[in-house]
Amino acid sequence: MPVSVCTLLTRCAIREPTFSRVFRRFSHKYSRNEDVKSRRNEMFTAEKKRQREAVGRVEKIEVKYLGVPQDTTLVMNKNISTPFNCAQHISELVVKRSALALLDGVTLWDMHRPLEAACTLQLLHFKDSDPFHVNKAFWRTCSVVLGAVVTESFKEDIPVFLHSFPSPNVRSGSFVYDIELNVENWVPTKDELRVLTGQMVHFCQQGHKIERLEVSVDLALDMFADNPYKSQQIPDIGSHSLSGDKVILYRVGQHVDISKGPLIGNTNLLGRCSIVAVHLIKDTSKPIYRFQGVALPQGLLLNHFAYGVLENRAKILNPARFIPASDL
Amino acid sequence: MNQADVSKLISKLRINVAPRHRNLKNPDGPEGRLLKLRKTVTGLIKHERIELNYNRADEARGYAERLISEAIRYGDCHRTTMELADFWLLEKQLVHKLFKVLVPRFREYPISYTRLLKAPDSPGIAFKRAVLELRGNPYPPLTVDSTRNRALLHNVLLDEAAKAYRAQKVTGVTSEILEKIEREHPSSPAVETQESEVTKSPNISEKSGVLQEKSSEPSYEKT
Repeated sequence: MPVSVCTLLTRCAIREPTFSRVFRRFSHKYSRNEDVKSRRNEMFTAEKKRQREAVGRVEKIEVKYLGVPQDTTLVMNKNISTPFNCAQHISELVVKRSALALLDGVTLWDMHRPLEAACTLQLLHFKDSDPFHVNKAFWRTCSVVLGAVVTESFKEDIPVFLHSFPSPNVRSGSFVYDIELNVENWVPTKDELRVLTGQMVHFCQQGHKIERLEVSVDLALDMFADNPYKSQQIPDIGSHSLSGDKVILYRVGQHVDISKGPLIGNTNLLGRCSIVAVHLIKDTSKPIYRFQGVALPQGLLLNHFAYGVLENRAKILNPARFIPASDL
Repeated sequence: MNQADVSKLISKLRINVAPRHRNLKNPDGPEGRLLKLRKTVTGLIKHERIELNYNRADEARGYAERLISEAIRYGDCHRTTMELADFWLLEKQLVHKLFKVLVPRFREYPISYTRLLKAPDSPGIAFKRAVLELRGNPYPPLTVDSTRNRALLHNVLLDEAAKAYRAQKVTGVTSEILEKIEREHPSSPAVETQESEVTKSPNISEKSGVLQEKSSEPSYEKT
């Protein structure tokens, strides 16, 4: 039996009695999801502060910037200054449009990740001649933001557990997040998708900075203790990391998620976006849904017909493989 | 009616012309205004791209368009056109450029010969600035053409959507052909197996369907 979903989301413009049943209400002041979120956020802040303090004596590094308006050399703080800070020294245009940094012409680096050594710096944006890596980072960011939006959109009596998202593939036509929702056979209505899309647009427009943090497996396990899937994935991710026991976390607004990265620097680089389909993944013990959407970066404009074509394509179930957490 | 068709007397410009001219305030009055515009038109023909105040650029644009279109229409053996060129071009060697370079360049153009772009505001300059250029100039383009670079994200998505659409169309055509075959030869067992394969594995159906259809073609012709 398909459930009428107008009752699931929290912020619905449409005033139907059914709607109010599922979407979150503002009156739910102390909710489970909220508590978990703020606890994780506080732990992230504390760990970030600890790492910043562990830097100790400030050392200087030379960063050679290559690009518009001209090549320059900047003297920055080791393990403190980020590519974003470098951009701030250069120009407003560069600050606004840069999505990703490229160090020494080989290493992709997040905009808000402190620089660790002297290097050359290029700042990548969506209108580069070959924006392959930026596009990929953009798609990955969309998945993370989708997770953040879905987590805070549902009512409190519907627990939401983020599962994972597959490696970003722009050519598949849609970005994806697999999420456990405690609703059987949910087929979202057009209005529900529209509400979710609205939430996502709203979230992106707030211009959240996307921060990166490398933490130990133990801390990550503590942070994600409530999420059965993530806690299963974390040891595996840690063992595959370079140092052997590190997990890379990202924070968007108050939402913290695990991702290999790199992600783009800010959510306001997301332009037009829509969440277009939710598919139930088969053969799982609990109902896991694949949320799919499509988005364009800020500044790449498309007419409504062409965008409609992209939306329609994004509705088709994304063929990326779903790896159950128990298989890890 | 014996009246001349007015619309054919003057060449029709491909830009919007305001119903009333701008006075372009000048101590020398209308003559000073005209001199200003002649300087601008001369500069445009000479340099092919100039940056100036928006009002003056927009005003001069109409005269430059008119001059070029008259030159294309009547050629260099037409006294009136020559006088017009002589009036607007203060440097006389540009008359040669007009007839020998610009007329051949713009003869087949379906759009306007000039392009007016708004220049960004700069601190200290109160007036709106603009860039006026002749089309087909040798300078690097001022605007980015986002359709050219197929690696941009929206182009990647659109290309993939087009590919998927074409693939779907091929599948549709194949299944139509298969249906047709089945209708014509309902008892043929080979066709039945084809159909069942199609329903079972939609991914493989496209290729196998085409192949089988091709191989079975000659046998139908014989029968």
